[in-house]
Amino acid sequence: MGRVTRKNLFSIMALCAMVGLLLLPIVMALPSPATGEEAPTADGAKKDGDKVEKGRDVYYKTEGIVVGAPAPKTMDGPRDYPRYNFESRVLLWFANQQHLYYGSFVLAVPIFCMVIEFMGVMTKDKALAKRYDQLAYDFIKISLTAYSLTAILGGILIFTFLTLYPAFFGYLSSIFRPVMHIYALMFVAESGTLYVYYYGWDKMKEGFLKWIHLSMSVILNVIGTLLMMLANSWIGFMMSPAGVDEQGRFLGNIWHVIHTALWNPLNVHRLLGNMAFGGGVVAAYAAYKFLASKTDEDRAHYDWMGYIAMALGVAFLIPLPFAGYWLMREVYAYRQQMGITLMGGLLAWLFIIQATMIGILFLSTNYYLWQAMGRMRGAEKYQRYIKYLVFLLACGYLVFITPHTMVMTPAELKAMGGQQHPVLGNYGVMSAKNGGINVIITTTVLSFVWYMRGNKVSTVSWAKFGNIFMGVFFACAYINIIWLAIYGYYIPANVRVGLSVPQVATTLSCLFFMFALNSVMMKGAKQMGPIEWGKISVRSQYALIMLATAFTWMMGLMGYIRSSVRLFWHVNEIMRDNSPWAYTHTTGFAANMISFNVLFFWLSILFVFWLGSLAAKKAPVEAKAGVPGSVPQPAGSH
Amino acid sequence: MGQSIMYGIISVIICVAYFTLIDHVFMDMQGLDYWYLFRK
Repeated sequence: MGRVTRKNLFSIMALCAMVGLLLLPIVMALPSPATGEEAPTADGAKKDGDKVEKGRDVYYKTEGIVVGAPAPKTMDGPRDYPRYNFESRVLLWFANQQHLYYGSFVLAVPIFCMVIEFMGVMTKDKALAKRYDQLAYDFIKISLTAYSLTAILGGILIFTFLTLYPAFFGYLSSIFRPVMHIYALMFVAESGTLYVYYYGWDKMKEGFLKWIHLSMSVILNVIGTLLMMLANSWIGFMMSPAGVDEQGRFLGNIWHVIHTALWNPLNVHRLLGNMAFGGGVVAAYAAYKFLASKTDEDRAHYDWMGYIAMALGVAFLIPLPFAGYWLMREVYAYRQQMGITLMGGLLAWLFIIQATMIGILFLSTNYYLWQAMGRMRGAEKYQRYIKYLVFLLACGYLVFITPHTMVMTPAELKAMGGQQHPVLGNYGVMSAKNGGINVIITTTVLSFVWYMRGNKVSTVSWAKFGNIFMGVFFACAYINIIWLAIYGYYIPANVRVGLSVPQVATTLSCLFFMFALNSVMMKGAKQMGPIEWGKISVRSQYALIMLATAFTWMMGLMGYIRSSVRLFWHVNEIMRDNSPWAYTHTTGFAANMISFNVLFFWLSILFVFWLGSLAAKKAPVEAKAGVPGSVPQPAGSH
Repeated sequence: MGQSIMYGIISVIICVAYFTLIDHVFMDMQGLDYWYLFRK
């Protein structure tokens, strides 16, 4: 009893220490904004009289006392742009992208762990609870090795900045000095929490201690999310600077510098993107392990793991396009020209590639779900309808990827009779594209609903009405989405632009109402048979790998687009890029570079997976004894 | 069969009313007129 009490006490102390670490940066930031000097006060300003120079915030339009140096005017040469016989920007691109991939992965996976561990604690079925716990443990184990690699890549990134772009990095760090210190402290807090969370798993697996352990995962994720938001403030500042005057001089308000026009949309978009990406990577890991499995038990476990990771990833993928719309809307609101460069100008073709990748993500997800229905008895009844879903997906996809204009030779232009194709040209507008993507997402929701009720027959008294209502609701949703897409062609642009909101609301209605209705209908439903985990086609696992690769490629692409929109500016309209590489690469070069980054990431993470498997092989007894439920049993529900 | 048709009609009425409401309300919230074409 005494031992348990002492354990509880230590756990609570550890939790308090983590909260303390979390609050430490805030406490440190309280006495002064840590500008490196004494923060200027109103009294001080009065005393100094005319000596105080004031500037006007480029974004907030407020006046502030100048406390920083102007942005350096760089010149091409070894002083501002030291280099190897190679394009420095490409080296930075590589270091940045790899750090981001690993950073996203290690931020997303603990969130999954938290969710799955919570599901394990809450579920009443003890066998299932153990399986959830084991799964959460497996997830965090994967991310632990990746965590060290993230820190190493972060170091490489900083050294690349310091050695190849010293003037720019010097300016950025002079503005963000307190933020960078807080970032470093948060990183220490994140590492400490992660290690206690991981190594304390076995010791805190039951009762009150389990709740303490779960609380640690919440703190871990709060720290991780804050870390991401701080890093986002740097790129937000580079795209839409605030808190400085037109010469780039810091005006003393660090919150203005952090809270730029694009900071919040970037935060939401990145958080969702990281989650979708993390789900994809874990799903690919599970698929790889499934394909390499020798026993039915292993296949069952990794099939289940792949499904959970995919479902979590897709849960965050569905709202991702809407977060993307919000980000673009804010970009347009900040600088219309920036929005036009992105979606209607220099970078527009990259958005066609992005649309193609988004379509592939949803196609892969649907394909996986249709294949997954093969492991449950009773789901055959849906097989004959899948061809209609394929038709809807194909139509939505083709409309979604159709470009507005084509790059053509004069002869081709003449043969076609203009820049736009007489038929296909009609689809290359947002009205049609919004319809296309909403049809795709609604179809994915429908596939999920079919999967969830695959092996079940509802026993509620109003089941017949419920089924008919669901069918009609989906049919009307499709009609409404397509109707709004067509309606957009007949009304002026200023009215048309608003139609995307009811389209999105229609899709989300399907997601929330139909999932809720289906859950109510399937409560206490008759099961046609258990889900036979592991009895799934090999093709489905390749679909998971495809999903993860498409996520990775799209992340690389979107990062490139977001960064390129600054054109020849280090900090938009404040600090000009005067290096020889201040131009936008061709689409082909960018695509090759993204592919290289994707390939490198996957090769390196395969190495990480291999390292993880070595550790598992070395301690088989400990793993089995320490973590209950390591040999999985097919679950009765999902 | 008759019951299914009745359920179908009720569902259609509910769904059409719901989606029309969605279209109208979400356009109105943005200060835009959903019925623009029909009022012209």
